[in-house]
Amino acid sequence: MKAFRFLRPRTLAEASEALRREPGAVPKAGGVDLLDRWKERVEEPEVVVGLCDVTDGAALRLEEDGALVLGALATLADLAGSDLVRRFLPALARAADQAASPQIRHRATLGGNLAQATRCGYWRLRSFPCLLRGASRCPVREPGGVQETAGIFANDPCASAHPSSVAPVLGALGAEILVGGGPEGGRGLAFEALWRAPEPGRSDVLALEPGELIRAVRIPPSAHPVRVGHAEVRQRAAFDWPLVTAAVGLTLDADRIREARVWLGSVAPTPHRARAAEAALTGRRLAEVRATFDGRAAAEGATPLPGTAYKAGLVAVAARRALADALERS
Amino acid sequence: MAEDPSVPPARGITRRALFQGAGAAAAARALLGATPAGAEEGPAATPWRTQGPGAVDVALRVNGAERTLRVEPRVTLLEALRLDLDLTGAKPVCDRSQCGACTVWLDGRTVHACSVLAVEAEGREVTTVEGLGQPGRLHPVQRAFVEEDALQCGFCTPGLVMSVAWAVAQHGPGLSEAQVRRACAGNLCRCGTYPHVLKAALKAAGQGG
Repeated sequence: MKAFRFLRPRTLAEASEALRREPGAVPKAGGVDLLDRWKERVEEPEVVVGLCDVTDGAALRLEEDGALVLGALATLADLAGSDLVRRFLPALARAADQAASPQIRHRATLGGNLAQATRCGYWRLRSFPCLLRGASRCPVREPGGVQETAGIFANDPCASAHPSSVAPVLGALGAEILVGGGPEGGRGLAFEALWRAPEPGRSDVLALEPGELIRAVRIPPSAHPVRVGHAEVRQRAAFDWPLVTAAVGLTLDADRIREARVWLGSVAPTPHRARAAEAALTGRRLAEVRATFDGRAAAEGATPLPGTAYKAGLVAVAARRALADALERS
Repeated sequence: MAEDPSVPPARGITRRALFQGAGAAAAARALLGATPAGAEEGPAATPWRTQGPGAVDVALRVNGAERTLRVEPRVTLLEALRLDLDLTGAKPVCDRSQCGACTVWLDGRTVHACSVLAVEAEGREVTTVEGLGQPGRLHPVQRAFVEEDALQCGFCTPGLVMSVAWAVAQHGPGLSEAQVRRACAGNLCRCGTYPHVLKAALKAAGQGG
């Protein structure tokens, strides 16, 4: 690992200011994956803005208007163990609780989970070429490329997959992202606006302005009952990355689905919204979708590579299970 | 695993002493270096503290004692514990948050020491397997590991002990088999001692570990 200067702001505002004053500085919260990348010298920051002393970023609170605001520096263990999250957002608590291992959940933060880099093995080893690191092509897409964990949506020219299993649940909850520290102060982003599409030579996945940090995630209050379900398909139940994650959020008018939100993880360079599945659910009665929804609409628009054809099938399975989870639980 | 002082090490040097010497040399280089790397505080204009890139003084609270060491910000807690503080219970195996052999507690919660910077542990409570118990007065989890033969080669054992002891502290006598399995999901044992670890965990919890 290359030596770096370590800056220790005590507030989110100071952290933003530090990032603005030090172009190229990298914010580090839990930083479990960042350290892996620095050790492998895939990334070699000269300045790190440590968020370990920041005291105003981890609160989980219920606002007066009924919105839930989750501080980006809350750890996955904080989310999984919070009475507030377990009561109002049980699918989120479960998703956070299933991720990684206890040691990692005690360090990894909500903001860091949303900002996660791809698990793509080519990107993670300097000895391989990678479009995001400046090569002219994505080796995953080449004949003989290792494709099994690659994305199946929006996978040209980069076939990476965003691994967050928390993000799809937040998408299904209709969350918005509060980012802060930009020139105009804090701002709210629509959920999908947090990420940008991969570009050659750019490894960062977030659509943030210089100096901006993810401050919090806001779950707006709903006048209608909302049911959210979540399902992951993995090779191992313990300490594994998902092959596919699906989350379904249903806003109900009595027994009819007024609005459906379906989000997928580990299938595209950013969390992926499955609009065809949303259309297949919207306006239908719960009993009807319970009997007929086979999940295949969630895979509509997929462009799998030869090694990822199986993932389109898994998307349908995960979407079906997520719907069942949503219908089972309130 | 302490080296027996009665046995003269080969060529008069131990591996650990070599590392410690190298660490001291690195610290000396940083102190005398051409760059202002030893500067602990950044320019006065910033409201935040700046450390490094050279070695800085870090005050850690480890196993209840205040320890001051001099490390670069890039040094992991695992490296600092082993090479600067001679606490070699936490093991370096994968160095990538995968195997759990370096598990310690940070403010009472299990973490991989390989994936925390030593400077980040400032002001926090670090507990290593050495702080859990000592020869002659073992922690109930350590005693149960011995009684249930929950180790073979022993390399993963300090990490597993920390994860199990955390689970016991969390759940008490009601600790379930599923909770033990979940608590140890981040600890790999290539000898496959898991069934005995499970028995040891439940035994320790039942004894009020």
